[in-house]
Amino acid sequence: MFLEIKDLSVKIENKNILKSLNLNINKGEVHAIMGPNGSGKSTLANVLAGKEDYEILDGRINFKDNDLFDLNIEERAQEGLFLAFQYPVEIPGVNITPFLHSAINSKRKRMNEEEIDNLSFAKLLKSKASDLGINIDMLKRSVNTGFSGGEKKRYEILQMSILNPDLAILDETDSGLDIDALKIVTDGVNKLKTKDNSFLIITHYQKLLDYIKPDYVHVMVNGSIVKSGGSEIAAEIEKDGFQKFQ
Amino acid sequence: MNIQDNYLKNKKNIFFSENKDIQTHREKLINIFENDKFDKKNNESLKNINLKNFIDFKYKYLIPEETSVINNNQDNSYSIVSVNGQCSSFKDDKIEITKILDEDYNDFSKNDTIEHNDHFVNLNSLFLNCGFKIVIKKNNNIKIKISNIITDDDLTIFQKNNYICEEGSSLNLIEEYENKNNSTSNVLNVIKLEKNSQLNHFLIQDNSPNHNLIITSHSSCKKDSTFNQKVYNFSEGYVRNFHYSELMETNSEADLQGIFFLKDNNISNNKTFVKHLAEDCKSNQVYKGILNDRSKATYFSNTHVDQAAQKTEGYQLSKGILLSDNASYFSKPELKIYADDVKCSHGSTIGPIDENAIFYLRSRGMSKIAATKILISSFINEELSSIDNEQMSEIIQKKLVRYLSKVK
Repeated sequence: MFLEIKDLSVKIENKNILKSLNLNINKGEVHAIMGPNGSGKSTLANVLAGKEDYEILDGRINFKDNDLFDLNIEERAQEGLFLAFQYPVEIPGVNITPFLHSAINSKRKRMNEEEIDNLSFAKLLKSKASDLGINIDMLKRSVNTGFSGGEKKRYEILQMSILNPDLAILDETDSGLDIDALKIVTDGVNKLKTKDNSFLIITHYQKLLDYIKPDYVHVMVNGSIVKSGGSEIAAEIEKDGFQKFQ
Repeated sequence: MNIQDNYLKNKKNIFFSENKDIQTHREKLINIFENDKFDKKNNESLKNINLKNFIDFKYKYLIPEETSVINNNQDNSYSIVSVNGQCSSFKDDKIEITKILDEDYNDFSKNDTIEHNDHFVNLNSLFLNCGFKIVIKKNNNIKIKISNIITDDDLTIFQKNNYICEEGSSLNLIEEYENKNNSTSNVLNVIKLEKNSQLNHFLIQDNSPNHNLIITSHSSCKKDSTFNQKVYNFSEGYVRNFHYSELMETNSEADLQGIFFLKDNNISNNKTFVKHLAEDCKSNQVYKGILNDRSKATYFSNTHVDQAAQKTEGYQLSKGILLSDNASYFSKPELKIYADDVKCSHGSTIGPIDENAIFYLRSRGMSKIAATKILISSFINEELSSIDNEQMSEIIQKKLVRYLSKVK
């Protein structure tokens, strides 16, 4: 199993958010989690990425034969886990290009691969940015600073394509995107899809799933997965909402 | 030893002590010290300071054996090594440097424009034992680098320097304070900018833990003149940076900026004060601090806009990052506005490093320590990238790397 979440219970500030959650993802699969506001979707994404604000009450998570709780945030990223943020953080003064260069080399170092030099990295970045319709001038700016909502999401996907993760978690990547931006972003994701990597897509709406076809759709309500199936579930939610699952 | 005994015992080594007017003035100052209870609660500028070190001190001053060196380099630049606050006299067609002499009391004794309740300035007036005057002659564009060297341990330097930028002149002044010995320097710079002149004043402070530096500047700007000051405090010893500026005539500007990097138990007190006295003047006061371990800092910024100073623009900003729960930064901005057509603002933000930003960077594979360092560098990126002097930029970068290497 690529990612195995077993009986995961998590709380924050005395509030139980995830309750005995189970989820298995195999290599090469695309899974979508849909759920109403406050159901715990972003908490799951943050816990997988290693955010330290949460208290793990019970359960375990295995990722590529590692106990995920043994790895800190950066080790998880270096092992190939990537979170595309719902609200990417603005970091004024930290330039995009050296930041991404340093990120890719930290991963290569852990994998005992040779570090990528400045010139090769610049070429790689330029080509990936061009694929996503990102202006080269944007790469001279500070991380997410002064970006529009759409630019921020596109930049998340650019980072994902550079870091080429084994498991990418997309936390409401469709929120705040117009239809053209949504198409560019989802095209970028589809280009990255191979038989060796997996995706966990968190969304409220079926629209995103029109562009990225999931193998499995899960409905998350009140901290647990209450129903799993194929893309017919997304159509069901689009028609009737989440009410019937609550 | 109390102030009076200290003064009486050492007065033969102190400038102007034979002058009757100055004697009278100094007796008044001694009375202030005798009567003031140094109530820290009612004098915020004394916050965090161990006053005993400065009031009850052992006076020691040595006239340096080695004379200072003044090099006139190419491209209108001069390098000066000031030893124990002393500087040789030098003159050419662009600048004039004069060592302080006993007959210069008119130039060096008056501190009328400086706050009377500033005990450190009063101590400087009382024990004045060194200093110099630099005049940049009309319409010249000059660069000066001054390295301030202190030769021995336990010296008490009370130094006053007068800078005069004559009409149409421009001065780029770099002052380095990098002392490794156990001494105290109390330096007062009085700066006069004549019509249409400019001074870019860089202060690099990097003293060892046992060296105290108290530096005060008072600048006054005439019509169309500009005073830019940038302070970089990497000192491991106590530093007090108090900088006052008066915009006396129209279209003059003052930009007072500082960054301090504190760690261990170090303390730094900072103050900027801009008085707008004429129309159409601009000021900017920006101080940023990074505080680790048990370090403490204060920053008081003040903008005073006189009734006559219409169309003033005056901005203040204070920012601080606390890298430890035990570090503290007290910031107090003040605006006093007596004119009705002005644009003024102030802001102050102090807090720990942004945990969301740390999480974001770490989620891309960067270690916690690397993420912290990159965020500290980004916090002062604007100030560092605006240094247009390559040599200065390299010096500051090296010192920053050294500071960051201690951040855990």
